[in-house]
Amino acid sequence: MKRALAGLTLRGLTAIYLALFLMATVVTGLATYSATIRTIRNLVDQRLSHVSESLAPDGGRLDRQRLIAQIDALSRQRDTGDLGIALFDEEGRWIGGNVRLSRRVPMGFSGVSVADKIEGLSKGRALARRLGDGTVLVAIAETEPFDNYDLERQRIYLIGFGSIILIVVGGTSLFSRVVHRRITRIHSAADAIFDGDMSYRVPVSGSKGAFDRQGIAFNRMLDRINELMEGIRGVSDDIAHDLRTPLARLRGRLAALSQKAGDGELVVEIDEAIAQCDEILALFAAILRIAEVEGGSRRAAFERFDLSAVAQDIVATMAPIAEESGHELESGIDAPVLVEGDRQLLSQVMFNLIENALRHTAQGTRVRVGLMASGAQAILTVQDNGAGVPPDERDTALRRFGRLDGSRNSSGHGLGLPLVAAIARLHGGGLELGDAEPGLIAKIWLPLA
Amino acid sequence: MALAILIVEDDGELAENLSREMSGLGHQCRVAANGQQALAAIASETFDAVVMDRMLPGMNGITLIEQLRAAHVNMPILMLSALGRSSQKVEGLEAGADDYVVKPVDAAELHARLTALVRARGWSADEGDTIRAGDIIVSPTRHRAWRDGTALELASTEFKLLTELVRHNDTVLTRQMLLERVWNYDFEPATNIVDAYVGRLRKKLMAHGGSDPIATVRGVGYTLR
Repeated sequence: MKRALAGLTLRGLTAIYLALFLMATVVTGLATYSATIRTIRNLVDQRLSHVSESLAPDGGRLDRQRLIAQIDALSRQRDTGDLGIALFDEEGRWIGGNVRLSRRVPMGFSGVSVADKIEGLSKGRALARRLGDGTVLVAIAETEPFDNYDLERQRIYLIGFGSIILIVVGGTSLFSRVVHRRITRIHSAADAIFDGDMSYRVPVSGSKGAFDRQGIAFNRMLDRINELMEGIRGVSDDIAHDLRTPLARLRGRLAALSQKAGDGELVVEIDEAIAQCDEILALFAAILRIAEVEGGSRRAAFERFDLSAVAQDIVATMAPIAEESGHELESGIDAPVLVEGDRQLLSQVMFNLIENALRHTAQGTRVRVGLMASGAQAILTVQDNGAGVPPDERDTALRRFGRLDGSRNSSGHGLGLPLVAAIARLHGGGLELGDAEPGLIAKIWLPLA
Repeated sequence: MALAILIVEDDGELAENLSREMSGLGHQCRVAANGQQALAAIASETFDAVVMDRMLPGMNGITLIEQLRAAHVNMPILMLSALGRSSQKVEGLEAGADDYVVKPVDAAELHARLTALVRARGWSADEGDTIRAGDIIVSPTRHRAWRDGTALELASTEFKLLTELVRHNDTVLTRQMLLERVWNYDFEPATNIVDAYVGRLRKKLMAHGGSDPIATVRGVGYTLR
């Protein structure tokens, strides 16, 4: 039961609750309706038997003429004006009374209706008694105090129970909307945190209600996570500082050595050592850059600018380099594409994607940089017609230090795409790798400014 | 160019290393371990440039720079910090620093930057329409350049690169400095775009004869001969 409840959505739970409530209301309504009808019938039946008994008591002596006179007298009384009384002889012929019947009514109590064509009666009860001498006394009374009483009664039930249903349904939907809104607040806080805005907190009204307490607990959790992250960031800054300083000094010495060595054979090896130092320093730079991007602090320096101008500059800068490595660099850049963001970081994104394409494809491959505005988004694509990356390896390519088997021996530190993805997320967008048929397409989307 | 340099750094080992390495490059160095010592040193001696750590015990680097600038001490100040976030760079530059370098920095890079800063101080406002280095003349306002009287056909990035080299004639410009000044990037792309563009510029400079005017300082950067 618990598990079944836990699996239900709030919406589902509300629907079940409303269905049960509606069922209960309808059953109550029907029961009240039929009880009312039964009660009225019983009351009318009692009255009929009282009148009938008082006219001709059981076992009493019977005088037809007197009985007819009594009936006439009774009919004239104001408080019995709604009573119909008729007397029939042994053969069923009408011999007196104030109503005529179109059919014989059965002995005892029975119902009469409009079909019986009794003047002024739409629905009622009849009591037929056979008296001592074989005559039949029929008493008829209305169960409907006025025309269309049944309809009116239905309307009363409809209005009564209908308003209850309306109040409950309205209340429930209001309640669920309130709950939904409060939950959405927490949801959007989680989304903001996910997007890298670590400073976002759930708004708290100060009412000390359950939702407020939940919001406060959530915020405290975020504060704690933030503290821990700051701690880790501090550690990584320290590590970077501690390791980069001696590395930079080593690099400086190698550079000095390289200059002293002149043009000897040694120079090549020293320069290779310098290049290796540079790779390690680039790795640290990438680690720190990702930490900086994920910290979200650069969001404060966001500005509105035309991404197409930046893209054109970078394509122009990279074109001669692509040419040297035997690639064709093409562009299809729409202008203007205004975004709100960090020019440096988005430049780095384009460099990383273009460099990836150049580094991991063979000579003669065409690399195309595309930028366009689509709906509310800026779409940046870098696409090649090389060998591509199989779908199951694309996730690996996006993971930190996730390098594909084919690229293990080439340069690069495996942080290029994770950095691109982190920058895209900082801007409220994302990165996706796909099949360019043939080749790989890297697609970045960002909200337009 | 031998410079008198004040190094304000609380990490004794780092200060000593820097001082030794800078002295090895021909500069005279003095070390101050905190803001007070730095103020005292500046009051009693003349320096060509200051290298200052951003985080100092007591008075931090930002406050110290602001005090110096308020007291009309105008020598070039290079701020050194482990904090590499761009907002912190902006903060340092706004306080009055002339350059901001993220640790770690090696002596060659520091030397190049300090020399460039001191030279830049020597420029007069009337740099005039053209600047010249040997047989190369650049006109920043007209976006034109000549070598030995022959006009050069340069793309805009090549022109900016040449202007930077000519302006810092005789100083080594590191790759990082060129990336910042020519391309405005605060990151180093994996592709060595500086090398590629220096190569293109060299070809254009030598298209009408003459020797290669750009010297490569291996592992450091480039300079005009």
